[in-house]
Amino acid sequence: MNDYVNITIDDRKIKARAGEKLLWVALDNDIYIPHLCAVREKERSNASCRLCFVEIEGMARPVTSCTQVVREEMVVRTRSTRIDRLVKTAFELLLSDHNLSCRECPANGNCELQKIAKERGLKLRQKRFKAIERDHTVDDSPDEFAFDPSRCVLCGRCIWADREEAGVGAIGFANRGINSVITTFEGVSLAESICTQCKLCVEACPVGAFYYKKDKKA
Amino acid sequence: MQLLEGERELILSTVEEVLQNSSRNREDLIPSLQRVQSKLGYLPALAMEKLAEGLDIPAVDIYGIATFYNQFRLNPPGKYQVKVCMGTACYMKGGEITLESFERRMEIEEGETSPDRLYSLERVACVGCCTLAPVVVVNDDHIEGYVTPTRVDGIMLEFEEADQKEEETEKETEEETKKTAAEGGKNK
Amino acid sequence: MSADSPMDNYEKLFEVAKQNEEARREKPRILLGTASCGVAAGALQVKEFFLKEIESHGLDAEVVEVGCIGHCYAEPLAIIAKPGFPAITYGNLDEGLVHLLVEDFLAGEDPCYEYALAAVDRNDVFPTFEDFPRGIYENKLILEQCGYIDPESIDSYIEKDGYRALAKALSDEPARTLDEVKASNLRGRGGAGFPTGRKWETSLKAGGDEKYVICNADEGDPGAFMDRSILESDPHQVIEGMVLCAYAIGATEGYLYIRAEYPRAVKRVREALEQAREKGVLGSSILGTEFNFDLQVFQGAGAFVCGEETALLSSIEGRRGVPRYRPPFPAVEGLWGKPTVINNVKTFSYVPHIINRGADWFKSIGTPESPGTAVFSLVGKVVNTGLVEVPMGTTLRELIFEVGGGLPDGKEFKAVQIGGPSGGCLPESALDVPIDFDSLHEAGAIMGSGGLVVMDEDDCMVSVAHYFLEFTQQESCGKCTFCRLGTKHMLDILTDITRGHGDEERLTLLEELAEDVRDGSLCNLGRTAPNPVLTTLKYFRDEYKAHIEEGRCPARACRDLVLFYIEPSRCSKLCNVCVGSCPTEAIYTRDDGLKAIDQEKCVKCDNCRKACPPEYNAVIKLSPPVLPPEKEKKRT
Ligand SMILES: Cc1cc2nc3c(=O)[nH]c(=O)nc-3n(C[C@H](O)[C@H](O)[C@H](O)COP(=O)(O)O)c2cc1C
Ligand code: SF4
Ligand code: SF4
Ligand code: FES
Repeated sequence: MNDYVNITIDDRKIKARAGEKLLWVALDNDIYIPHLCAVREKERSNASCRLCFVEIEGMARPVTSCTQVVREEMVVRTRSTRIDRLVKTAFELLLSDHNLSCRECPANGNCELQKIAKERGLKLRQKRFKAIERDHTVDDSPDEFAFDPSRCVLCGRCIWADREEAGVGAIGFANRGINSVITTFEGVSLAESICTQCKLCVEACPVGAFYYKKDKKA
Repeated sequence: MQLLEGERELILSTVEEVLQNSSRNREDLIPSLQRVQSKLGYLPALAMEKLAEGLDIPAVDIYGIATFYNQFRLNPPGKYQVKVCMGTACYMKGGEITLESFERRMEIEEGETSPDRLYSLERVACVGCCTLAPVVVVNDDHIEGYVTPTRVDGIMLEFEEADQKEEETEKETEEETKKTAAEGGKNK
Repeated sequence: MSADSPMDNYEKLFEVAKQNEEARREKPRILLGTASCGVAAGALQVKEFFLKEIESHGLDAEVVEVGCIGHCYAEPLAIIAKPGFPAITYGNLDEGLVHLLVEDFLAGEDPCYEYALAAVDRNDVFPTFEDFPRGIYENKLILEQCGYIDPESIDSYIEKDGYRALAKALSDEPARTLDEVKASNLRGRGGAGFPTGRKWETSLKAGGDEKYVICNADEGDPGAFMDRSILESDPHQVIEGMVLCAYAIGATEGYLYIRAEYPRAVKRVREALEQAREKGVLGSSILGTEFNFDLQVFQGAGAFVCGEETALLSSIEGRRGVPRYRPPFPAVEGLWGKPTVINNVKTFSYVPHIINRGADWFKSIGTPESPGTAVFSLVGKVVNTGLVEVPMGTTLRELIFEVGGGLPDGKEFKAVQIGGPSGGCLPESALDVPIDFDSLHEAGAIMGSGGLVVMDEDDCMVSVAHYFLEFTQQESCGKCTFCRLGTKHMLDILTDITRGHGDEERLTLLEELAEDVRDGSLCNLGRTAPNPVLTTLKYFRDEYKAHIEEGRCPARACRDLVLFYIEPSRCSKLCNVCVGSCPTEAIYTRDDGLKAIDQEKCVKCDNCRKACPPEYNAVIKLSPPVLPPEKEKKRT
């Protein structure tokens, strides 16, 4: 077996490490593919955000690049009418359930959603879907950071950080379907939970759901 | 949810017992939760915490599971539980209307327990008796077929009667115990 | 014992079973259907009536609880088998009929043919179910023994050649079993129709010495109950199929994943497993060979998505029942990462028959691409609700009108919903589609796990689509964007339409979104959730239009678009039935004696319309919900 395979992404010939997932190969070669849920170190991606679709020659349906292992002579397109339509819809669906208040958001300018919008020419303020109404409360109990569920896109990266990097197990998914949330046991505040406030979740969050509190009144 | 008197002890001993009969693998988690719930009627927070300790997994995972599956409830059920089937056949034959009738009569919404813990009302996915639609399941084991709003009134009446009877017998036994206690006192 | 061949060991079991069962048959027996459907119809009370009557007549007769024979419309049902008479089925049993049957038939000599439904076996006295007009369409393979054998006695199964296929397979190499299943072209009955032999072979080739066999009995599809019925009526058939699979692929452990809502099935399967171990057809050194395989029941905890195989595995592993991306498929990396075959209850049920009678026999039934039979639970607006088994290739029309007996109350057929929330609604014009995996798929529906709901003129297609979408939306695991949020927005649009608030633009959005959810979701729950919407849009678009453009529900089913009205010219004035029937006291008597409905109070429960005597039929539904102008004045 060769250690490298040759693939083509958007007409560019690329040498990729065998066994690598397509998404990381593209990103490492400065080809942007929208993504929220994938974690490089994670063997199996959640494949839940449904933003990283690409077309591969010989495959009937668009595939998620975070799950697709590169193969010799694979020919990949990151853009097509079908892909753009799916990505646009997924993106707009996420935004219909996202508290869009960039100006107040600590992640402004460093947010994966803004990046996707910019790269793909999509509008953050989508009009197709009605905003989903919820009453979320912000948990600002930790000393240096806070959690605002109204900005969470349920990518699960914070849980990965909590489990695999911090080894704590303070947060997880709860409920099902449209009511799914990131939460602590019984929904207590982070300070009351077993959270060690290591802040790795804040580092992991691609949007402004887990965020550093500003220095008081800065 | 406030625990009633003696509930804490009951929860602890139940979890203890369930854990003793468990191989303590993750595989045993859902069956263990089922056993705890079948004994206590619901999954109190304390029970989830103790199970998490016993099986050595994060408590939040148990919470995640308990809130994922329809079967698990985090609040105690009412004394009289009604589950209205929302399978296709029941829906087509007016299950929604049956549900609403119960909501009206019990004065609670679907998914709730009445404040006096007397009634609780839920919707369930198909219970598999489609030919008797609309169907409701009473107290988990009794299936009622062809439940029209009029039958809802009948069922509620049965509950009320059963409850009254129980209260009476309770009173009687209470009086009896009082009497015997009094008599016992006299004898002394 | 282990020196004997598996067949020798089996023959011994068979002899014992035959003797035991023959001894049982010497007494008159009442085989009472106590599957969930029967119990719901009052079978357990009927059992008490029988026991009481038998005792008061001083008779020696046995009441045996059996499963479901599929004629659920006539529950409670029992078969009376009295030596010297053909075994006869009686339906709609109640206290009076039980009394009569015990007195005249059991104590006397009169089988009360006037109350009989059918005889069990061919005889010269009374017709059997096969002599019914529907008999020519039915072909019972896996339902054959359901309701006729005692599900709580393994002897009852063995006596009908049960576990003979296992003995036969064990007498040969495992590869023979696999080859036979492959050659039979059996396709999975859990929905997708994947070739079973190929799945088994993949697992076999995946290597490793730990493998699992799992039976998917999650049957969450609302409106389907075949799997439950088979487990309650003939549990050993499924178990034998699973043991055969284990032998073919070299598995040592397995599970039956059964829905929490099926307590009777769980109980009967657990008992059956116990008995199978005692007889040596399950557990260690099966039938005296070196083959070991054991099974246990895992009770689902109530989540439709756990029927999806990867979610099912997560659930057994003690996690949230969330699907994962495939590949790897469970056949390669399944439970605890080991190769795992997951098949439906019905799929496993066919296997013993295929091994006994051969692949060629199996292929002679049904169509070349979809051999064998199809099992459906027939519900909704159809006369003979219940379980049916017909050869693949039977048309929907034959199934609904011949086997199902058509629609009750002279109503007009409108649509048939196949495959539950993942399936589609097909109109009259599609009734000649043959039932097989590929034809149904082409028509826009899917075989699904076998729920078949017949709908008539009173059913609104928009609200049916709404119902199914609401179901999937509530059962979505919430993991992926399209299904979690897409189904929610689709449902909101549909809700608006059923309330008369839709518009053309949002209808287009609904359709586009439906396509994207289908193409973009992670698992098949999301990928198929739009089917009911897409098929109703395809076949019944005019109904959507009527809601949107006229605020009218053609079937008068959407409650926001109808009002209840008492037609003055029909109301008798003298009868008060409707007044009493109303749960909210919305009906009052007008000064002129006619009844009328206070629209503010009316909750549209339909009680008054049902209560109004048929000779008046004065309560009607109007859509759009506009009261007709008062005609009183004109008359004067
Ligand atoms: C949402 C969903 C629910 C399902 N429910 C069931 C079910 O209740 N029973 C079943 O056998 N298969 C069900 N399936 C299909 C299974 O994933 C799997 O394909 C099947 O069990 C394979 O068995 P078969 O090859 O015998 O058909 C479901 C699939 C999905 C996506
Ligand atoms: S909080 Fe952030 S990291 Fe965690 S799931 Fe939500 S968006 Fe993802
Ligand atoms: S399609 Fe639905 S059920 Fe399947 S993974 Fe996505 S959210 Fe979960
Ligand atoms: S990054 Fe691939 S689905 Fe989220």
